[in-house]
Amino acid sequence: MSGIKKPILQMAGITKRFPGTLALDQVQLTCYPGKVHVLLGENGAGKSTLVKILSGVYTRDEGTIEFEGRQVNYTNVREAMAYGISIIHQELNLLPERTIAQNIYIGHEPRNQAGLIDYGKMVKDSRALLKNLGLDLNPDDYIKNLSIAQQQMVEVVKALSNRIKVLIMDEPTSSLTQKEIAKLFEIMEQLKKQNVAIIYISHRMDEIKRVGDQVTIMRDGKYIATLDAKTMDLDDAITMMVGRKIDNLYARSYNKPGKEILRTRDLKGLRFRNVNITVHEGEIVSLSGLVGAGRTEIAKALFGYDPIEEGGFQLFGEEIKKPSPKKCISRGMAFLPEDRKAEGLHLLMPIKENIVAACLKKDFPNFILNGKTEQTLGELYQDKLRIATSDVDKLVGELSGGNQQKVVIAKWLATSCKLIIFDEPTRGIDVGAKAEIYALMDELVSQGYGILMISSELGEVIGVSDRVYVMREGEIQAELSHESLTQENIMRYAI
Amino acid sequence: MSKVTGWLKKQNIPGIVYGSVLIFLFFSIIEKKFFTPYNVMLIARNSCILLTVSIGMTMAVLIGQVDLSVGSVMSVSAVMVKNGVPLAAALMAAFGAAALFGLVNGILIAVLKVDYWITTFATMSIGAGLALVISDGSTVPISSKFLDFLGNGKVCGVYFLIVLTIVLTVLILFLLKRSKLGYDVYSIGGSENVARLSGLDVNRTRMMVYLISSLIAALAGILITGMTNSASPIVGSEYSFNALAAVVIGGTSLNGGKGGVAGTVFGTVLLRIIASGLAMLGVPATWQKVIQGLIIVVIIVADVSSEKKKDVNGLRRIYAND
Ligand SMILES: Nc1ncnc2c1ncn2[C@@H]1O[C@H](COP(=O)(O)OP(=O)(O)OP(=O)(O)O)[C@@H](O)[C@H]1O
Ligand SMILES: [Mg+2]
Repeated sequence: MSGIKKPILQMAGITKRFPGTLALDQVQLTCYPGKVHVLLGENGAGKSTLVKILSGVYTRDEGTIEFEGRQVNYTNVREAMAYGISIIHQELNLLPERTIAQNIYIGHEPRNQAGLIDYGKMVKDSRALLKNLGLDLNPDDYIKNLSIAQQQMVEVVKALSNRIKVLIMDEPTSSLTQKEIAKLFEIMEQLKKQNVAIIYISHRMDEIKRVGDQVTIMRDGKYIATLDAKTMDLDDAITMMVGRKIDNLYARSYNKPGKEILRTRDLKGLRFRNVNITVHEGEIVSLSGLVGAGRTEIAKALFGYDPIEEGGFQLFGEEIKKPSPKKCISRGMAFLPEDRKAEGLHLLMPIKENIVAACLKKDFPNFILNGKTEQTLGELYQDKLRIATSDVDKLVGELSGGNQQKVVIAKWLATSCKLIIFDEPTRGIDVGAKAEIYALMDELVSQGYGILMISSELGEVIGVSDRVYVMREGEIQAELSHESLTQENIMRYAI
Repeated sequence: MSKVTGWLKKQNIPGIVYGSVLIFLFFSIIEKKFFTPYNVMLIARNSCILLTVSIGMTMAVLIGQVDLSVGSVMSVSAVMVKNGVPLAAALMAAFGAAALFGLVNGILIAVLKVDYWITTFATMSIGAGLALVISDGSTVPISSKFLDFLGNGKVCGVYFLIVLTIVLTVLILFLLKRSKLGYDVYSIGGSENVARLSGLDVNRTRMMVYLISSLIAALAGILITGMTNSASPIVGSEYSFNALAAVVIGGTSLNGGKGGVAGTVFGTVLLRIIASGLAMLGVPATWQKVIQGLIIVVIIVADVSSEKKKDVNGLRRIYAND
């Protein structure tokens, strides 16, 4: 397919061990200039580890890397950058207390003749870069004042500020809005024309055919196959990736709703107003709409993170005055935030301690931590949710993204909550795990739980919801039941 | 009035500045002799040594750590100065010893990954002991015209010490704001992980910071020797914690990556204003410490709560940005 061009990059026999884990086992990858190579694999398959080796973050234990026809053996990020290999990491890597310009040029700040850093030039160049990519941002602004999507775009600009030959993008779209995703794909087209080789990682299956030229599939740290993105069968690829066939991603047994769990009354807060919604036992209710329509803000207000300006709400018929996370938990509400790293997990603590973090009171009377209970609970949920780890004593930070999400879910299931608010429950999660999480949600509502889900993935909203409230600019535009759910129907009210 | 407060709000001046001004006004009003050219100059002069040490400490805190050994390094370099030893040799020994302390701190912390509190606490203790060993535990008078000029000389009616401290402050301010090293200090302090992933040499920068911090502490030790015309083995003993207090009061975050030398200047001066004012009011030294501590708590609490307010406003902006 790319027979005319020579590969710019060939990785072969790459092996990487972490204590207790064989993260990569003889993996290979070949990239061509001007082509997009998609890496496909479940959570924990080793995609990030592979590209981190390529970008100098980790050193490989075995294997060779050939770049532009020559063997290379760099051991740190700086040397990889010097070859023109740049990476946009799966997690945001920005300094909140520094300006956009300072973040873009971190590590290669422009200097004047005296060797001093030329901030003026930095701002000018940043402005040009931002404008070139059609981003309306002021390079003098602090990162902490940007939305997550804007920060993600700054990451893109940061990677492009180097002279690049290979650009690695590790799940760049997971926190972008449709508008920015379109922009990102435009940028990728431009880069392809400039003969940049792109390595692209994503769990959004619809993106693969849209942007990819080739696809390499990995499973459990092993290389499975490399396919042509345009001609391959997506279902086959998914089967290779997961190792089994996924027949029905959205398995729902629509139950008859039971008692009312949540009812809001003319709720008004930071970015929403006049919100009247209900959730019943046995129901999955979704808030749909574009990113920024005010959905997350409702959840945060209900959970007491953000102020409620007017109106109120009832949980199990009881009016909740001045909600706080503690009060809400004790009344049976749980909240899984969209930014799980910042708000949902202690990355440097073991898995089992994260799981019991929210239920300390109930299972550990007298505030005494009981190692045995902790272990039992940890293993119970590891089993139930199939958290892929050898040991619940491992630090959460060492898990792959999808498995981290499962730990957050486990944490809330371990409390005695009956209403669970999921904010983007499957962001960054592989299709196999998605199916598992949907099945789990269905099981939960069958047992009488109520679920309020916020999701930007229309397929997910349509696939799993009993009812959907469509929001636009902070107000609810429509309430749709699952029989009338179609893409067109939702978008009509969302835009 | 509302115009003035509006303008002030826009300038984004940290609370510490208002605090300093308020406390200065307070003492000026209740004590006539406080706001006189003589006393202002005295406060400025008394701030110099602490400010010098605090500037080095600022760099350590900006990088997300702390250098507790600075006080002991001061003492060690002070006792290197002896009557009979040529001044040039004594100065070389002073700065050489300081460099050694800086390197040991740097290697232990950056390369061997020993905790920075433990490391600098240990070198603080080693330094304090060494200073006593070298001097035999005694304070000796020093007669050196050069050192006396450094500590007590005047140019155009202003203490040379003040000029020197201002020059040093501006220099480090410039270093932090405009040099590669300064940028790296802020980046590493902001997030070590981000710095590493961006290809910065975290270890080398850490070592440089501890080296600079030690050398600046040695300078402070020499200056105080000149000021008092004596070399004392315990001259620096209170400076480590006072410097840390000055830095933190000045708004530099103990998490690193945020703040800077300008805040430290105010933090230092504020500490000295309080000391001077309380002394003038005849408050006994024992009570001075208590009151000083209480004032520090008030200032930091006020600062923290105003930061929180800013965070909420920031939240609104983020939502509005989506
Ligand atoms: N720093 C680390 N220390 C120990 N183990 C690690 C570390 N980083 C990754 N691992 C392990 O290596 C394996 C591969 O992880 P990796 O992050 O590469 O997966 P991934 O394919 O990127 O998954 P995801 O799609 O969830 O991002 C996992 O089992 C993970 O737990
Ligand atoms: Mg990954």
